[in-house]
Amino acid sequence: MSFSQFALQLLTGLQIGAIYVLVALGLTLIFGTLGVANFAHGALYMIGAYFGLVVSSQLGWGWAALLVPLGLFGVGILFDRGLLQFFYKRPVTDQILVTFGLAIIIQELARTIFGGTTKPFPAPQWARIPVDIGFGYYPPWRLVIIAVTIIVVILLFILLRYTKFGLMVRAGMRDPEMVRYLGIDATRLFTIVVGLGAMFAGVAGIMGGPAYSIEPGSGMAMLVPSFLVVVIGGMGSLVGAVIAGLLMGLAVSFSVIFVPAVSQVIIYLVAVIVLIVRPRGLFGVEGIG
Amino acid sequence: MKKQSLFARDSIYMLIAAIVIFSLRWTLPLLGGYSELATRMLIFSILVLGFDILVGLTGYLSFGHAAFWGIGAYICGYILLHFTQNILVAMILGVLIVSIIAFLLGIITLRRHGIYFAILTLAFAEMFYYLALAPLQKWTGGDNGLTGIKTPQLFGLELSGLAMYIFVGIWTLIALYTARRIKNSPYGLMLRAIKSNEERLTFTGINVFRYKVMAFLISGIFAGLAGTLFAAYETYVPTESLHWTLSGEIVIMSVIGGFGTLIGPMMGAAIVLYLENVLSAITDQWNLILGVIFMSFVIFLPGGVMSLSKQLRRLFSRDQVPANRTESQGGD
Repeated sequence: MSFSQFALQLLTGLQIGAIYVLVALGLTLIFGTLGVANFAHGALYMIGAYFGLVVSSQLGWGWAALLVPLGLFGVGILFDRGLLQFFYKRPVTDQILVTFGLAIIIQELARTIFGGTTKPFPAPQWARIPVDIGFGYYPPWRLVIIAVTIIVVILLFILLRYTKFGLMVRAGMRDPEMVRYLGIDATRLFTIVVGLGAMFAGVAGIMGGPAYSIEPGSGMAMLVPSFLVVVIGGMGSLVGAVIAGLLMGLAVSFSVIFVPAVSQVIIYLVAVIVLIVRPRGLFGVEGIG
Repeated sequence: MKKQSLFARDSIYMLIAAIVIFSLRWTLPLLGGYSELATRMLIFSILVLGFDILVGLTGYLSFGHAAFWGIGAYICGYILLHFTQNILVAMILGVLIVSIIAFLLGIITLRRHGIYFAILTLAFAEMFYYLALAPLQKWTGGDNGLTGIKTPQLFGLELSGLAMYIFVGIWTLIALYTARRIKNSPYGLMLRAIKSNEERLTFTGINVFRYKVMAFLISGIFAGLAGTLFAAYETYVPTESLHWTLSGEIVIMSVIGGFGTLIGPMMGAAIVLYLENVLSAITDQWNLILGVIFMSFVIFLPGGVMSLSKQLRRLFSRDQVPANRTESQGGD
């Protein structure tokens, strides 16, 4: 394998991983603060993708880039107020069941509205034709995905590390009970966290849509590997989600070259191995789950 | 005396179950179904029975039971297709291999609970699905599934139509009897203790892990048995047998029926298959309707159909009995 081949494969791995990271960050944020296992997170990804498809074809990509994250933030708020808040204190099993039910409903609604077939979702004109990046030709859209993900991760890091809001979220992730005792409006905090999680899923959707394709099953197809990323990284660990996501992306992209037979199952193999060796995940805290 | 009355109650229970099971083929057409649907319902009821032993009793929610069903179906189908038409040979081998896999998966996945367990079981099932789709294509037929399976035979008797129905019915009765015996035994009590407080059970010096693996194994065997029957009945194994949607459907059936009641999930399976049959004739959106029904159950009636009478009684009686949600609660 030549250097350029290796570098291109590395980029592809990062791109695949980037989408996982975005979806997994939302999942782990919601789990870490609210303690809710959101099986409907893949559905949020899918909403982002379909919403992006509609807006970009009607109003153009500029509007799509603006409206999809904002819209999904709103969807997240609605999701929390309308459903999740009643399940904070219910057993994990009930949370899984109710969000799983919602995921099915959203998936079937998408099938009703957009049809069951795969929809082509063209990337913006300028991002379609592969460009020379020094060691080979590469589709710009995939570079956009990597770049946007890096920006989102940095922004999230700044938000959590240097703002009062971030301090409260981190406190909430460590001890949600205590946050309430300190007189912080935990309800609003949690709602915003769900909104953020949904927004990340939406960003992942609008970027992942053109890179892969969309159909009603896309959400669930994205949910399973993303959840594995969260579990491998350690439930509730943001750093873990980022690193495990990239790891998974690279595992997928390199297995296609070296062991194509297992490329479809590589993420499950990696997950199984990590969890046997280290059941709490790479960055997980002992005792959670 | 007490033992005798228990035995009598057991006999009546099984007698009623037998009557329902063996009359379904003729009662169903009166309700707008078709007679072959009865066989399907019975096969799925075996599947959810096993699922209930795991989830209903121990509270461990598995999202990967499609794996056991699918592997059982594929192995049974493969044997019927290539080696012998003897259904018992195909079923025994299928269930045997499924139980080995269930045992191994149990050991790996049961080290975690709650959400971890759900995700791990889901991941394993997805792994088998993708394995069947591409790397094992040569044996599984890839996208097309296993087609062209010949009608299985039982000692020279062709099993199709009514004969198959009776064969499946007998297995359903055996499954129900076994599940009921497990549930009502001290062993079942132990499993239920895992659900109510696993930690406390551990502190009493009991090897909880062993019980959990056994519950997982038993439920895997039920699912595998149902899978082998499905392959024999359909004479076809679709790829969807391993897909997560099937695992989800099992969960939906059990929730609608009511976890932990055995009869409930069986009813849930019948209800879902009946609705699927009736609604899909009227509308394309029956999956959407099913999703809405499922969610309404999770939110408003977590105990499923089986808790309906209890809920109604509570509604109409003066004394306020506190809501009993334990039926739906699980391992966290």
